[in-house]
Amino acid sequence: MDDVLITGMGVISHLGKGVDAFWKGLSAARSTPTTAADPFARMSLPLMYEVPAEDVPAGPERHGDLVLGRGSRLAVEAARQAVADAALEGVAPDRIAVVIGTGMGDSGLHEDWRSGTGPEGGHWSPTFSVASAVGSLFGAEGANSSVSNACAASGFGLSMAADLIRTGEADVVIAGGAEAYSRVALACFNRLGAIDPVRCRPFDLHRQGTLFGEGAGMVILESASHARARSAPQVYAKLSGTGWSCDAFHTTAPEPTGAQISRAMREALAEAGAGGDRVGCVIPHGTGTQLNDTVESQVLNEVLDGGRDAQAPVYSLKALLGHTGGAAAALAVVAAAQILHRKTVPPNIAPDEQDPACTIRLPLDEAPLEGEFVLVNAYAFGGNNVSLVLEEASA
Amino acid sequence: MSATRSAPDRVGDLVVSGIGVVTPWSDTPADAAVATGRPSEPGDWFDHRERLGRRGYKYLPTATQYFLAAARSALADAGETRPDSDLADEQRRGAMVGTNSAAVALHESMDRTVMAEGADALSPATAPYFSINLFGSRLATEHLFRAFNLTLTSPRVAGLEALETGTRSLAAGRASWLLAGSTEEALPAGHPGAAASERGAVALVMEPAARVLERGAAGYGRCRARSFFLPPEVAAAPRGADRARERIDSALTALGLRPGDAHQVIAVLDDSPVSAAVAAAVGPRAKRVPAGSGALEPLLQIAGALSDLSGPVVVVTAAREGNLAVALLTPADAV
Repeated sequence: MDDVLITGMGVISHLGKGVDAFWKGLSAARSTPTTAADPFARMSLPLMYEVPAEDVPAGPERHGDLVLGRGSRLAVEAARQAVADAALEGVAPDRIAVVIGTGMGDSGLHEDWRSGTGPEGGHWSPTFSVASAVGSLFGAEGANSSVSNACAASGFGLSMAADLIRTGEADVVIAGGAEAYSRVALACFNRLGAIDPVRCRPFDLHRQGTLFGEGAGMVILESASHARARSAPQVYAKLSGTGWSCDAFHTTAPEPTGAQISRAMREALAEAGAGGDRVGCVIPHGTGTQLNDTVESQVLNEVLDGGRDAQAPVYSLKALLGHTGGAAAALAVVAAAQILHRKTVPPNIAPDEQDPACTIRLPLDEAPLEGEFVLVNAYAFGGNNVSLVLEEASA
Repeated sequence: MSATRSAPDRVGDLVVSGIGVVTPWSDTPADAAVATGRPSEPGDWFDHRERLGRRGYKYLPTATQYFLAAARSALADAGETRPDSDLADEQRRGAMVGTNSAAVALHESMDRTVMAEGADALSPATAPYFSINLFGSRLATEHLFRAFNLTLTSPRVAGLEALETGTRSLAAGRASWLLAGSTEEALPAGHPGAAASERGAVALVMEPAARVLERGAAGYGRCRARSFFLPPEVAAAPRGADRARERIDSALTALGLRPGDAHQVIAVLDDSPVSAAVAAAVGPRAKRVPAGSGALEPLLQIAGALSDLSGPVVVVTAAREGNLAVALLTPADAV
């Protein structure tokens, strides 16, 4: 079975636009949430890690009949970077697929219509047309899928993209996730009491919930034989393992023993052939919600078979970007591929006081990567769990 | 550390062993697929207490209720008995649901509440359902689907994608048993596309043919799907119909339809340039069914065709956005 390689990347987030800006932001380890720029956000904590206004793509506002909301525009921008990075010119259109995870799609477009600040189309306007927009703009005629499993959406999407390559149905997949501000989503999290009033503080003793972030992360997944045949300009990493599971336990709460998130992690690591001692970094789901962080910490210790000092360093990406929902796993994969490519683990934002129940290692200094694998976790409402294992690789 | 996936099942061995359909006009698959005579104003047609139980369902969004009811019908129809509290078995059961419009009316109502009264006026019981994947998640909790429970949302093709991605996931060894389908709720009045709203759900049980045979059953037939993309500007170009035909033929060949095999075609299409290219590609002998504002109609047609399948049937659907999908249905005793 052909290996699945990452041969291109694109990203836009609270840290700005482009992979270089992203890595610079990770290295600086500083970010601050702001108040959502929406006069209709009637809620006590309208806080977000938004994409800076100067980086939000102004267009395209439409492509043919399709009106693009902010989610689609973020996705198109990240895809544009990734396609250029991988130098995909000349690949047959029907061999290029698109798979994008998004929890809210272009809901913001509909919200704009309701608050009277945007256009209204004359025909049915599906909320989840982000992948369609990317497929149209880049002429990709292979499979074109939108997956919407909330905060794990792009983790499942990247797995689905890898399956398309492994079955020979595609040579190249533009794969990732995109999430933009949604008034409805932020209001509902306010109503559920799940917004931290200070910042996104995963694994902090004083954490009070999460904070949303905007962004899009896209990678070019490509079969190794195809990348080799066209002399792809670079290979950042290999997607070598994926694991899925479902708690089947509760609408919003994680299953407290972590049995199913453990199974997803173990399955991904086994498929990658990665023992716990060869994992050089973990990018956890780590949202800042009470039970999630505790359960995930406990399971990481079991699965990676190490105590706090022996275990692979955990890189808490959401502390920097906020919780980017359906884009979270894709942004974590971009970070993981950069960590493998640069052989460096960036510094964590220092927690005010690490929760003693979260016995994980959160290094505050940049350090060389020790180990050839990076584990990425993503979990969602409904108990949907996905783990991905990236492995170092070169052209 | 050991791998936890079992040896992959062959996709070709999967058959549909159970069908569940819930619509305002009929729950019989063949009748539900009839495109004429459907009530334009379905009204108050679904009683969750009667269909699901008196307790625990009141605050679930209606599209969740429809899908639960369809799933129960499909599971009962499959006639399969499963062991209680068998974790290994639960971890081999996967579910996929496709939907486009299940949450639109709820989002609209929530948003108007937020703008008028603020977030504190939202119902805490329904607040989690801002997330569209929860419309299918109660199914996993109730029936213990622990392999996966995915929600696909591609315009119009999401239901067919649920079948396609689900069977591909089984082939990859992620599960060995699948419940897949679609659920939709009507768009709010005045919303673009509201006149073609869809309401209801379809659920199909798909499992290895050998297991169905062990129970002395045969199943309804095989259902294989493939999706792809036809950029609207390509569809609208002079060779758009030719390109659509090439892609559809290629997909059907990949799904196992041999050149010259007689087959019926059902085309679920809208009035877009993409659908026009597909209509020209499949020709006038195809049965045309108007597409709705969602992913349900193609699944209704599949369920209807499977319920009385005597030869190959192709169901094709397309969206204005460029998404396109085909399904090939073949009798269970056919290769």
